[in-house]
Amino acid sequence: MNERKYISVYFDDEKYLIQAVKKLNESNETILDAQTPFPVHGLDGLLSMKRSRIPVGGFILGFVGAFLAFIFQAWVFTVSYPLIIGGKPFFSVPTFVPITFEVTVLFAGVSMVFALLIRSNLKPEYRFEPLNDRITDDMFVVLIDSTGEKTTIEKIKSTLSGIQTIEIR
Amino acid sequence: MEEQFNFSKKYSNYLLAGMAVALLICIGAILVSKPGASRIWANVLLNNQLFMGIALGAAFFIAVHRIAMSGWHTYLQRLPDAITTFLPFAFVLMLLLYFGMHNIYHWTDNSAHDAVIEGKKAWLNIPFFFVRMVFYFTGWIALTWLMNKNTIAIMGSTDIKYDNKRRIFAGLFLVFFGITVSTSSWDWIMSLDAHWYSTMFGWYVFIGMFVTALTFIILLVWFLRRAGYLKYLSADHIHDLAILLFCFSVFWTYLWFCQYLLIWYGHLPEETSYYIERLKSFKVIFFLNVALNFIIPFFGLITVESKRNLGWVAAVAAIVFIGHWIDYWLMIMPAATGDKAGIGFLEIFMTLFYAGMFIFIVFRSLAKGPIVVVNDPLLEESLNYES
Repeated sequence: MNERKYISVYFDDEKYLIQAVKKLNESNETILDAQTPFPVHGLDGLLSMKRSRIPVGGFILGFVGAFLAFIFQAWVFTVSYPLIIGGKPFFSVPTFVPITFEVTVLFAGVSMVFALLIRSNLKPEYRFEPLNDRITDDMFVVLIDSTGEKTTIEKIKSTLSGIQTIEIR
Repeated sequence: MEEQFNFSKKYSNYLLAGMAVALLICIGAILVSKPGASRIWANVLLNNQLFMGIALGAAFFIAVHRIAMSGWHTYLQRLPDAITTFLPFAFVLMLLLYFGMHNIYHWTDNSAHDAVIEGKKAWLNIPFFFVRMVFYFTGWIALTWLMNKNTIAIMGSTDIKYDNKRRIFAGLFLVFFGITVSTSSWDWIMSLDAHWYSTMFGWYVFIGMFVTALTFIILLVWFLRRAGYLKYLSADHIHDLAILLFCFSVFWTYLWFCQYLLIWYGHLPEETSYYIERLKSFKVIFFLNVALNFIIPFFGLITVESKRNLGWVAAVAAIVFIGHWIDYWLMIMPAATGDKAGIGFLEIFMTLFYAGMFIFIVFRSLAKGPIVVVNDPLLEESLNYES
């Protein structure tokens, strides 16, 4: 057991999980991670996780997509292959808008998906070993950093004494 | 929890004084600049449509949320409810148009022998116009009144049947409104250009109504919060209102652009006349419309922090409100008054007069009961809501 660098606490309801995380924050324990079968409201803020920067990437890539789509259409319809369509001028902005919009959405959406995959290291050979199979179904777990001298199972047990847990180990 | 909006003498005196001043400036502007009857009546129509649109948009807001059994809005539900009580007054104001029909609706002129308008006689004639007006308003007023009545019943009772009842009325309202909002916009706005038609017009006007209603709800929330009410309002409620404002501004742009693109591409003379008229004389206002209603809310509300800051959201909402005023102006004025259209003291102060009257009626309705409907079954969800 000496190599283990964490203590895991199991719950069977999200409300106990939230209560426990609040208690642990009060007693200055370092929470490494929480694994839950579904997104729990309010947990992100309590775990003091940094805001995801994926929307920023999506915005920038969307902008790039809009720019490229517009430039490409302008080039095609004025320089590369000018065609008279419905008697309109070669360079007519309204005709470019729908495709510019679509390419913006495509770039923003696809870039966010790939950014997520790369940042979370989700490559094809990735395998997830859950601590317990039930955390993909109806169980919640909090992992507490136990490398420090002061953090012991006994101390965690006494901190969480009033909260209904399944197991602390 | 028990919050009661106090429509104090101070507020009502300010509002009445503001209305009186605005009305005097209106009359002064009419006497001094002699804008002509058509411009005065077009202003009446514009303001009727704008403020009736806010009331209808608020009714749509509340009906959609009720029928979807949404939880988050229940803390704020009395605000749109109070806004819908303007509808009976809008009815009276719309009936006033009877005296100005010939000044703004060119199809009422029988002497011209216009083949296109002759062909539309079955729909566009004065008696049927007012029959339809009465029909629309009867449905809207009755259904919003029934919804509000059941909300008031919930305040004094914990019986679930009132909640179920108002959900049924919300569904009926949505069906009735879905059809009549299109036909009423053809009647009151599109028929100003009696030759022109656009199949997207009903949707376009409807989204304008919904966005203006959202801006007004946000401004009302901002005011009540400033005045010390709505103690349990969280950033999550503001976030959701801002998301609605953001996405329906984008949707408004989508419809605006679709209507423009199809007419521009099709290049049929009877369709392009609408845009030629507006782009020729009012180019700046035409593009200002898109800037205020799309660019400002899009870039102003794109980040999460900006959506959760009530002061900022209210500022954007105020700009979008002005933007939609300009949108109605572009729909109505060039068609009704031709070259005489303009934005002057008359336009600005008549809108301020209407706004004062509208706010007076909304505040009076809001003060009739507690701001929070304590017995609402979904209130708990709304108070612990996380967006």
